[in-house]
Amino acid sequence: MDFQLSDDHRMLQDSLRGILTRHTGEALWPALVEAGVPAALLTEDEGGFDGSGAAIALIFQELGRAGVALPLIPAMIAAAAFAQAGQPAEDGAALAFADAEPGTRHDRGVAISVQGDRLTGRKTMVAGAEGAAAILVTTADALWRLAPDAPGVTIRPYPMLDGQRGADLILEDAPATRLGAIADFGGPLARGVLAHSALALGAITAAVDLTLDYLKQRKQFGQPLIAFQALAHRMADLAVEVEQARSAVTNLSGHLDAEPALRDRHVQACKVTVGRVARLVAEDAVQLHGGIGMTEEYALGGMIRRLLAAETAMGDADWHLERFARGEPAFA
Amino acid sequence: MDMRFTPDELAFRDEVRAFLKAELDPGLARKVRLHDELTKAEMEGWHAKLQARGWLAGNWPTEFGGAGWTPIQRHIFEEESARAHAPRIVPFGIAMLGPVLQKFGSKEQQDHWLPRILNGDDWWCQGYSEPGAGSDLAGLRCAAVRQGDHYVVTGQKTWTTLGQHANMIFCLVRTSTEGKKQEGISFLLIDMDSPGVTVRPIVLLDGTAEVNEVWFDEVRVPVANLVGEENQGWTYAKYLLTHERTNIAGVGFATAALDNLQRVARAQVHRGQPLSQDPLFAAQLAEVEIELMAMSTTNLRMLSQAAQGQAPGIESSMLKIKGTQIRQRLDALTRRAYGGQASALPTLGNEGPDGADEALSATATWLNNRKLSIYGGSNEIQRSIIAGALAKG
Ligand SMILES: Cc1cc2nc3c(=O)[nH]c(=O)nc-3n(C[C@H](O)[C@H](O)[C@H](O)COP(=O)(O)OP(=O)(O)OC[C@H]3O[C@@H](n4cnc5c(N)ncnc54)[C@H](O)[C@@H]3O)c2cc1C
Repeated sequence: MDFQLSDDHRMLQDSLRGILTRHTGEALWPALVEAGVPAALLTEDEGGFDGSGAAIALIFQELGRAGVALPLIPAMIAAAAFAQAGQPAEDGAALAFADAEPGTRHDRGVAISVQGDRLTGRKTMVAGAEGAAAILVTTADALWRLAPDAPGVTIRPYPMLDGQRGADLILEDAPATRLGAIADFGGPLARGVLAHSALALGAITAAVDLTLDYLKQRKQFGQPLIAFQALAHRMADLAVEVEQARSAVTNLSGHLDAEPALRDRHVQACKVTVGRVARLVAEDAVQLHGGIGMTEEYALGGMIRRLLAAETAMGDADWHLERFARGEPAFA
Repeated sequence: MDMRFTPDELAFRDEVRAFLKAELDPGLARKVRLHDELTKAEMEGWHAKLQARGWLAGNWPTEFGGAGWTPIQRHIFEEESARAHAPRIVPFGIAMLGPVLQKFGSKEQQDHWLPRILNGDDWWCQGYSEPGAGSDLAGLRCAAVRQGDHYVVTGQKTWTTLGQHANMIFCLVRTSTEGKKQEGISFLLIDMDSPGVTVRPIVLLDGTAEVNEVWFDEVRVPVANLVGEENQGWTYAKYLLTHERTNIAGVGFATAALDNLQRVARAQVHRGQPLSQDPLFAAQLAEVEIELMAMSTTNLRMLSQAAQGQAPGIESSMLKIKGTQIRQRLDALTRRAYGGQASALPTLGNEGPDGADEALSATATWLNNRKLSIYGGSNEIQRSIIAGALAKG
């Protein structure tokens, strides 16, 4: 076995780290495109050049670490799904993915229904819906391609927890194109889970590093906080859990192309493990910081909010745990 | 042993319920339930209604204008108020400063300040913490130097809850740097309208700004505003903290959160059924309910000890830890019940998804309630207190 990054991936990581330290805000996206990041997320068949689990894990970890909020994950999932259905999106087009629904934790088809090839109902927390060229929509058992400017489509935007713009998608008899059964799109959806998990892992690492630095520097009772055994042991426990999360992401990235049943167990295990660790880190990082950890001004806050957002995307730990226990596919 | 409330206590509970039903505006209750930030007028309005009924200061003896309730009555009032989503009584004047003035203040101070707390003339906030002095409160540096009839105060306080509304702040200040650091601290009442006081809001993760930084730049405070003796402030602060820690278990708040979560779980759909029917979720819900049942009785056991005159010791630390764990667990479960919908934050922008403010408040509440295990002596500090007492035997 070999867990080392390949030379290509190491170069990708280096250039990505460089870009993420040099560019912020509006300037970031063009720099990422120029470095070929979006293309590295897709296979050649899908119009990209890499698309491996390793590349996806690497890229999203770096983005998560740097705290970047871009609707890159939904765009990647949608592009892969469209490509699999033989309907590639135009090059560089912004794509959105509408999965979560109001009134349910993560079930699909609760708030949305299908009549022929028309959709009626609601989706929620749709990142990047404003200005998207096309939206990938889930219903109870199918995937659809929706044009945002089609009749019967209303997009109601608002800010989301991770700093992105999200939206409610309100559909009234809106025409859409059926791409196929959800069960046939386990591949593209599994990459979405990998991307969310890697993003969370990046934020987890950043939050734990920041907390450790803080404990070394903050003094109370005449000593740095890390000198108090109760806190040192909490940090040690967090370090152990971070490695578990890292392995869960590694497992999924290495099984993205495995046969569906095995791949799905890794999808679920990854969501369960990373979700649990994300929650633990969010709670402990704030607690170990004390009051400062709860403030908007301090860097930890953004990480915590992104962790919470990644935790619930595409099904949280509870949802995937149940499906794992029942031996059900991850997406059906 | 008799675990039932006495007929008197039951009658009192009915009275409280009837009062809440008659006086609590449903719109206000909804804001409280969704953890929306209340305006100053809303908080003051609720205080005024309670005061009109003689119930604002349940913990004060009647000689000072309080209700003189037993600990059990206070518990009943707090639990019923929380379950009805009444605004919580802002603690700084009523629960904290009041008892200190009653025990350590001069007659003049009692006659002047206590009625003003009750009738709403003053809004108090608590100036203890400083950037360098959090858990290690005795490390505080904000200095008060005596000059004739005044103390001249210079330094910074932080985390002052609702200080933006306050006209008065009670502070721990350093009046001596000799000897043990606990021994050079005094308890001072400062008018926030004095020249040299600056207040800056601190925005928290949920987008609210309930805490502030406060600076004192050579602020002149009359010596008459010193409570008790100079350099004895630590004693008064410790006394105040034991008061701050009554109702620390927050049984009423936890019960209200549990009611809310059960309602959410019935409404959310999972596999075509209410989420409350889902075995995994139902088990998690049952577990925290069972924890709450035990904690509620732990709380009552300790209250009835207190009613018999036993001072709360490590019990209040135990209640603080368990109470905050249960509430934070309920917050986490509520987010989980909402799943993907819990990923927006209303207070960061003006609008949220239509009709989904309940789901949104779940995450805001989770974020805001991280404070429960940090303030009032963090849970780690409480564990050290318990462990220290256990070690001493
Ligand atoms: C929302 C909010 C409202 C507040 N309101 C007020 C107010 O109105 N007035 C006021 O005066 N203060 C207020 N506080 C301040 C509060 O009391 C302090 O935040 C608290 O005492 C912790 O101090 P700190 O934030 O400096 O954390 P620190 O003391 O730096 O602690 C950081 C972490 O280290 C842990 N730790 C510290 N020392 C030890 C040790 N010896 N052993 C083990 N663990 C340790 C702590 O438990 C915590 O987890 C408020 C705080 C918050 C968050």
